[in-house]
Amino acid sequence: MKSQVEVQDPITDRILDEWLEEPAPFLSILHAIQDHYGYLPEPALRRVSQRMDIPISDLYGTVTFYHFFQLEPKAIPDIRVCENSACCLHDLDQLCEEVAGADLGIEHSGKIEKISCPGRCDVPVPLLIGEKFLHGAKPGAIGEAVEATMPLPPETGQQECLFQHIRDGVSDLKVALEKGAWKSPLLAASDPEKLISELKTSGLTGRGGAGFPTGVKWEVVRNENRGPKWIICNADESEVGCFKDRVLMAHTPHALLEGMTCAGLVTGAEVGIIYLRWEYPEILESLQAAIDEATAAGYLGEDACGSGRPFRILIRRGAGAYICGEETSLLNSLEGKHPFPREKPPFPTTHGLFQQPTIVNNVETFCAVPPIVEHGGQWFSDLGLGEQNGMRIFSVSGDIQRPGNYEVPVGTPLRQLLVEFAGGPLPGREIQGVTMAGVSGGLVGAEDLDVRLDPASLDGLGAMLGAGGIVVHDDTRCMIKAARESMHFLKEESCGKCFPCRIGTTRMTEILDELGSGQPVREGIMEEIEDLEEVLGETSACGLGLAAPYITRMLKKYWPDQIQQKLNGSTQASEGADDE
Amino acid sequence: MMSNENRMTIDGAEVAFQPGETVLEVARRQGAFVPTLCYDERLDPYGSCRLCVVEVEGRRLPASSCTLKAESGMEIRTGSDPIRKMQSTLMEMVLSENPDDECPRCRDIGTCEVHDLAEKLEVGRERFLGAISNASKDDSNPFLLRDYDRCISCYRCVRICDEVEADHAITMTGRGWNKGIATAFDGGLMDSDCTLCGQCIYTCPTGALADKKMVGQGEIPGEVEVTRSVCPYCGTGCSINLHSRDGKMIGVTPVLDGPVNEGALCVKGQFGFDFVNSGDRLTRPLIRKNGELTPVSWDEAFDYTAQKLMSVRADHGPKAFYAIASGRAPGEGSYMLQKFTRAVMNSNQVDNCSRG
Repeated sequence: MKSQVEVQDPITDRILDEWLEEPAPFLSILHAIQDHYGYLPEPALRRVSQRMDIPISDLYGTVTFYHFFQLEPKAIPDIRVCENSACCLHDLDQLCEEVAGADLGIEHSGKIEKISCPGRCDVPVPLLIGEKFLHGAKPGAIGEAVEATMPLPPETGQQECLFQHIRDGVSDLKVALEKGAWKSPLLAASDPEKLISELKTSGLTGRGGAGFPTGVKWEVVRNENRGPKWIICNADESEVGCFKDRVLMAHTPHALLEGMTCAGLVTGAEVGIIYLRWEYPEILESLQAAIDEATAAGYLGEDACGSGRPFRILIRRGAGAYICGEETSLLNSLEGKHPFPREKPPFPTTHGLFQQPTIVNNVETFCAVPPIVEHGGQWFSDLGLGEQNGMRIFSVSGDIQRPGNYEVPVGTPLRQLLVEFAGGPLPGREIQGVTMAGVSGGLVGAEDLDVRLDPASLDGLGAMLGAGGIVVHDDTRCMIKAARESMHFLKEESCGKCFPCRIGTTRMTEILDELGSGQPVREGIMEEIEDLEEVLGETSACGLGLAAPYITRMLKKYWPDQIQQKLNGSTQASEGADDE
Repeated sequence: MMSNENRMTIDGAEVAFQPGETVLEVARRQGAFVPTLCYDERLDPYGSCRLCVVEVEGRRLPASSCTLKAESGMEIRTGSDPIRKMQSTLMEMVLSENPDDECPRCRDIGTCEVHDLAEKLEVGRERFLGAISNASKDDSNPFLLRDYDRCISCYRCVRICDEVEADHAITMTGRGWNKGIATAFDGGLMDSDCTLCGQCIYTCPTGALADKKMVGQGEIPGEVEVTRSVCPYCGTGCSINLHSRDGKMIGVTPVLDGPVNEGALCVKGQFGFDFVNSGDRLTRPLIRKNGELTPVSWDEAFDYTAQKLMSVRADHGPKAFYAIASGRAPGEGSYMLQKFTRAVMNSNQVDNCSRG
């Protein structure tokens, strides 16, 4: 067979020698090759295929799944422009035209490539050239685009939990230690049952969106007898309008590392992996620096925190794929498989990375563990309003005075977050609606802005809290277009495995395009939407497809008049055409 | 009292199952109509088409029965009105991603699974119309038609190539609506690890993959006749279906319940039947006389051969004789050849080409 012909590539061999003994090395190997060559040359991939025993066709297919693996050399980088929710509120066509010919301080080809949300909705519009981001490029004012710095969250004047120290520059180990960091892992080692019990008392649930009780998850993995176990941090924050994990990793990395170390010592896992989205190159550097610092100081390593037990943390960089934020896709991605979601059950707690017991938690979830250990589960639970437990971070962007991340008690009214903390709409404007969970949690209209920010309350409206991204749309916006942009994102990021999602998100996007076009629409279009909603919401294989109907259902609930107007308009148009 | 271990309820009837069986397998054994498109019994459950969804008591959402393992006490409903409606919608969605013209596979080879199922669910290509997915591939290989305009992305071709054939010649590329089926680096099949076994075309539920030789034979008048037979090529004895029209052979398809091959064939058995209708076939014996092949009678041919064989043995001894039986000869023929070699030619030098 052709693929059995031995390929020579000393550089790739050197990279493979360096990585093959490391845990889950697949993505790191491909990145190292791409860093060296500027792309993934065919002989290099054939060599990887031979030495990793992955069929070359499978490897090729897997590489093509990701946005940021390149199979062709590119001497000068293109300009990548975010096309999603908060950014597409600006005139992107004009912006693209302007930046194509502009001197941006970084050499570029002048070609534009639209990309999915890179998690910088608080500083729109981000431009990505090579691996450098420029923030704040506005049409008519691209000169204001500046090289990326990670902004601190705006202050609310209220008590904060995960954010309480970040204004002191905690990213540094010395400062973190002054604030009491790295104490919790010793409790995890000496009394793991107590730590799990505190987590349960705290009511902490998964902050990635699914909301599974963290204490229960850790307990299941702890009680598994198989191994080696794994601790995975899902830092593939890719949902449109979500950038909360970015700020945590940028400003309080030791809280994340500490939380993961607790998980390791509680469960007996010896390796933690942070699956970091490709679009956060700055974080890759700063987080690695924090890991190195913690390792040098003995908090990580053979005798983690003096526990007598080993625990180390590695970063694996994603390559651009929203679906890899779905935990089973993430696991497949780490294993070097095609990153389709897996069938559940079995769940990762029993059959996770390499089929071993695995904790997969979001960045914010891990970061919440040290303060819970320090102050007790009850303390954290009491931070929530009423029956609710704890604090949550919300990423607010779009038509709002002070976009950014806000940490507020669970149960805080949406209006308070938007008006009191985020400064409300721009002068002279009204909030018309917001997208929830990023975009996949649907939309909430102005009439329901008093809804409390907790999962059950949002559920009651037919929307979803999810990962806490909120994109504000004011009264100048067409909500059909907003829904279209959300659906378009899901369509672009659908993995393509299950039929309802692959076909359904595409047809929904087309239908919303048709509805928003002002041209006559085909008959039965509303019934088609309804049938697609049903199939997507009931039969999709993972959360992406299951969530898609939130968008259209909420559109119909809050803005029936905007739809009716389009339907009427199209009837008139077709009647008009008949008259001619 | 009967234990309910390994028993479950399907559409109200209590049934027994074997541990490890899927709900789809149990339901179909019970006679329930559970449609599928991504399912092939030879492949691992995949759960992508979602047509096989069933209601599971105690679960909020329907589950794909092909990936759901049967459990004691499970209560399953297969064909409720909401389930049938979703199946019909899914089928309409599938039809909408393919072109609106005649399916060449249905026309020339036999109704494809997609169109057969659309008929069963009584839906057509009328709603959800929009972009067509995938794109056809220009491929110069002699046997496999690759018309991905008709692909529905069930990946059965990729999976049979991986799981059954272990050739790993093709893969799924890209993502979402823009995914496709390709070889490594998107070359032709002839430049890949493909052995042209044809398994992909016979697991394909659409007209996207087909036997190039069979497509286009639709012009020949008459009904397609299918005759079950055994592949004549080697001693393995793979079961095949011979397709013929008006007495002329037009193609071969594998037989799924063939005891030896269970639906598998190799490139020769699958595509190498040109000799059947070839004008070059030998129909009578020939002897080379003065450098020219000359037709002779069977008697003359036998006499001539016997005389030559006897003179070889007389002049050079038995060891000068070596017989190789054709893999295409039946067992009886092979037996006769070894008997002849040993008893008549006094040689032990005998073999069969299928011995590899």
